[in-house]
Amino acid sequence: MNIFKQLFGSNNTAETAKQRLRFVLIHDRAEIPPGLLELIKDDIITALSHRVPVDREGVVVQFEQHNNESRVLVDVPLLVLNGERKSVRRKA
Amino acid sequence: MESVVITITSGKGGVGKTTCAANIGSALAILGKKVVLIDGDIGLRNLDIVMGLENRIVYDAVDFIEGRCRLKQALIRDKRAAELYLLPTAQTRDKSAINAGQMVRLCDEMRGDFDYIIIDSPAGIEQGFHTCLAPANRCLVVTNPEVSSVRDADRVIGLIEAAEKGPAQLIINRIVAARVKRQEMLSTEDITEVLSTPIIGIVPEDENILTSSNRGQPIVMNGKSPAAMAFQDIARRITGEDIPLQPLRASGSLLQRLFSRA
Repeated sequence: MNIFKQLFGSNNTAETAKQRLRFVLIHDRAEIPPGLLELIKDDIITALSHRVPVDREGVVVQFEQHNNESRVLVDVPLLVLNGERKSVRRKA
Repeated sequence: MESVVITITSGKGGVGKTTCAANIGSALAILGKKVVLIDGDIGLRNLDIVMGLENRIVYDAVDFIEGRCRLKQALIRDKRAAELYLLPTAQTRDKSAINAGQMVRLCDEMRGDFDYIIIDSPAGIEQGFHTCLAPANRCLVVTNPEVSSVRDADRVIGLIEAAEKGPAQLIINRIVAARVKRQEMLSTEDITEVLSTPIIGIVPEDENILTSSNRGQPIVMNGKSPAAMAFQDIARRITGEDIPLQPLRASGSLLQRLFSRA
């Protein structure tokens, strides 16, 4: 997909525009500024780090809306002693 | 450092105010100036998405004015230039959220820190426009070579003069040389004659503008397309350089030329 994009999609900015609009409209409608998720992400990392080793780079915080229901999805990969990752997924 | 506050306005919507603000601000920053762009369009913010900074917003100008954050928390630094900042506005409030006095105080707070404070005014001539006009040292009026926007520009130029913020300077945006040549589009001279207002820049219609806003990258940041060069010239004129207005060339891509002939 990446190679395809590089070969043919370099000027395919309509798709870029669509993705950016989709993102910004979710936040406009929910009245939650996009940058707030970054702050929430920092808070969650700080909170969990007190109890378990967290893979900071892998943390994903997303905002979703379905049928008048809004939720923040948080995916936190943990650093486990034997090197394997375990994922904690929680809904807030 | 004493800032110059530049308000970009138009009367009519959709003529390219936000594109002009984003590109002139970016071009000034690329010239090494310290610049802050203020989105004055409360409730319909767009400067953030045109600049590609929409996902960095946590606080906005209204949050600062109402005491929910410090100014530094609301300012978004654009890392693509040395000293370029965006002050986004609120998306879920209306024009009454900031009044003229508050806008003046907001600009006063920043006056020592920036060379240029550029305010992207909302369309229209109501409160939002007057709020953005209040702190202005200089006003740029954007128009297209088309009757309705020229008429609205005239109205706005009158209001700017009445507020003793004149003389306004004109940006003619989206001009197509081939159509001017065929006498089916108002020329620069026609518009100057009708409005008797000095012109600070002429920006040709440029298909690269759409792709640049799709990406969230002001066109002056990458490349030498016709519109980018026009915006760079405007920025230089703002700093006081004497750059003569470039004569329009009926160039553009082959496709553009074919279309404009149709």
